Amino acid sequence: MSTETAAGSSGSGSGSASSSVNLESVRAVAKKDFQDAVRSWLFWGLSVFFFLLLVGVTGGLSYFGAEVSPTQAETTGALVSLVSQMTRVVIPLIALVLGWKAIAGERESGSIKVLLSLPHSRKDVLLGKLLGRAAVLSLSLIVGFVLAAVVVAAILGSFDVVEYAGLLAMAILYGLAYTSIAVSLSSMTKSTTIAGAAVFGVFLLFYAVWNLLLTGLQILMSRGTIDGVEYTRTFEMADGTTEQITAQRVPDWALFIDSLDPGNAFANALSIISSTVEGTTYPDYYFPDGMPFFLEDWFSFIILLLWIVVPLAVALWRFDRVDL
Amino acid sequence: MPAITVDNLTKSYGQTLALEDLSFQVQEGEVFGFLGPNGAGKSTTINVILDFIRPTAGRVEVLGLDAQANSREIRSRTGVLPEGVETYDRLTARQHLEFAIDSKGSDDDPEALLERVGLVDAIDKKAGGFSKGMSQRLMLAMALVGQPDLLILDEPSTGLDPNGAREMREIVREENERGATVFFSSHIMEQVEAVCDRVGILRDGEMVAVDTVEGLRDSVGGGTTLRVTVDRLDDDTLQVVRSLPDVSDATVEGRNPPVLVVQVQGSKTAVLGELEDRGIEVKDFTTREASLEDVFQSYTTGTEVHAR
Repeated sequence: MSTETAAGSSGSGSGSASSSVNLESVRAVAKKDFQDAVRSWLFWGLSVFFFLLLVGVTGGLSYFGAEVSPTQAETTGALVSLVSQMTRVVIPLIALVLGWKAIAGERESGSIKVLLSLPHSRKDVLLGKLLGRAAVLSLSLIVGFVLAAVVVAAILGSFDVVEYAGLLAMAILYGLAYTSIAVSLSSMTKSTTIAGAAVFGVFLLFYAVWNLLLTGLQILMSRGTIDGVEYTRTFEMADGTTEQITAQRVPDWALFIDSLDPGNAFANALSIISSTVEGTTYPDYYFPDGMPFFLEDWFSFIILLLWIVVPLAVALWRFDRVDL
Repeated sequence: MPAITVDNLTKSYGQTLALEDLSFQVQEGEVFGFLGPNGAGKSTTINVILDFIRPTAGRVEVLGLDAQANSREIRSRTGVLPEGVETYDRLTARQHLEFAIDSKGSDDDPEALLERVGLVDAIDKKAGGFSKGMSQRLMLAMALVGQPDLLILDEPSTGLDPNGAREMREIVREENERGATVFFSSHIMEQVEAVCDRVGILRDGEMVAVDTVEGLRDSVGGGTTLRVTVDRLDDDTLQVVRSLPDVSDATVEGRNPPVLVVQVQGSKTAVLGELEDRGIEVKDFTTREASLEDVFQSYTTGTEVHAR
């Protein structure tokens, strides 16, 4: 390891390990990567998948809807709510599968030398790859959603463009976050096996481990390892008297950690656009002095943006410094 | 100005030294053969030149620019045929070239380039179905995009049949005549011999010889091997032949009839004359000059050169 770090710094004293970004180069790499993907079954397969998902759920709603929940059946809101729950799991899977080989695969096969023999910087390659893969997911989402819109409108009779487009936009943002995570991880290693294990680990992290974190923090709080926050809840009894109960909840930072899960952020941000989507909600009595800004729904947009920017920034920094 | 200057380049991976204090220069406008057995460090050197890997110590300049700090500019003026090429299976030959043309901002015609490498028939076929030789031709066409000042070809003959290898050399000559410097690595002497102005021989990460093809031949002094089939031979004659001024070594192969194998630096007539003087009948004789392959063998294995 020591030689690798030495290599980065001693080669030429001018800190040349940091490469520049050229937008023309990024575009050329992204275009090539997208062409490569469009030629495979993947792009059209994904478009068809999203189309069928939307049409299928709509069909199901109109068929069973009236029996299940007559008040909100057969509306765009119900569709958005159901589809968002599915996409919450499906989009990470697709994005991780699309991205895990993006760089590691080319390093393993050696074809990255074809890319980097041309006048592209390593940052250009990383950004271009991310854009290319994100374009595959985003465009297939758009194709699927737009084509399905006609069918959905015909089945439902009415159609709320804002909620539908809102779901599409959030799905794209959510997909971009996971694509950034996948492509960034992919640039960290030469081995597709390690890259695959890493993205699988990320999926497990947010679908198994993260949900346990809050429970774990609650246990730590009840044992007194971390300090909880006292709150008072007022009950109104049947006879008109009130009774107050004082209890403990986990501190704000623990709730913030819970909200960092991209899936939670996706749901929370979408709940702003669609009233039928349920994000994470806290009772008012948790925050007698008002909710901290970082737990409000709008902050989930920032969290999703951070999930795009932070992994990418780390990857851009590191990818410039490794031997291919 | 030299096209490539490698200055005290060292590259180690942990305890393993891939290159040790390697220094050499490639002059502008020459065809330089970079020769060495597999694992000698040829690809490591090329990887540093192209900034794919970073040196542990030392520095490399290409086209007068620092290989690390100005890599993008260097690569915009360089055409590269990477080693062990991998094409993009789902892209056609045309799309490969369009990508290279797009990346270099040149206005080459994909068809003309593929014509030059003899692949124009497959222009709209996906590279996934290409043979190794076809992929190699495609990669060469990509390297020619933008009329580069420097061509770096890493084992360009891999996967090519003799005809393809000849066409490859032809293109190297054309590019050189256009004014390009060509840096050409190979582990087979024969391929660089015909086309290179100078040859550098790399062994275990160190340059053991840099010279012209003739210079290399002379420096090892392989000379000529003379094989003489005679009717009889005695130790006395062998001693006398060995003591002749131009003879460096003489041995006997076979008994019936005996074959005298002599390493001669200059004239072979002295040897034949001596045999005749002693009344020994010369039934047959052959001569063979030391080939560059022998020279290469001697440098890379450390054994003395004998033309066989």
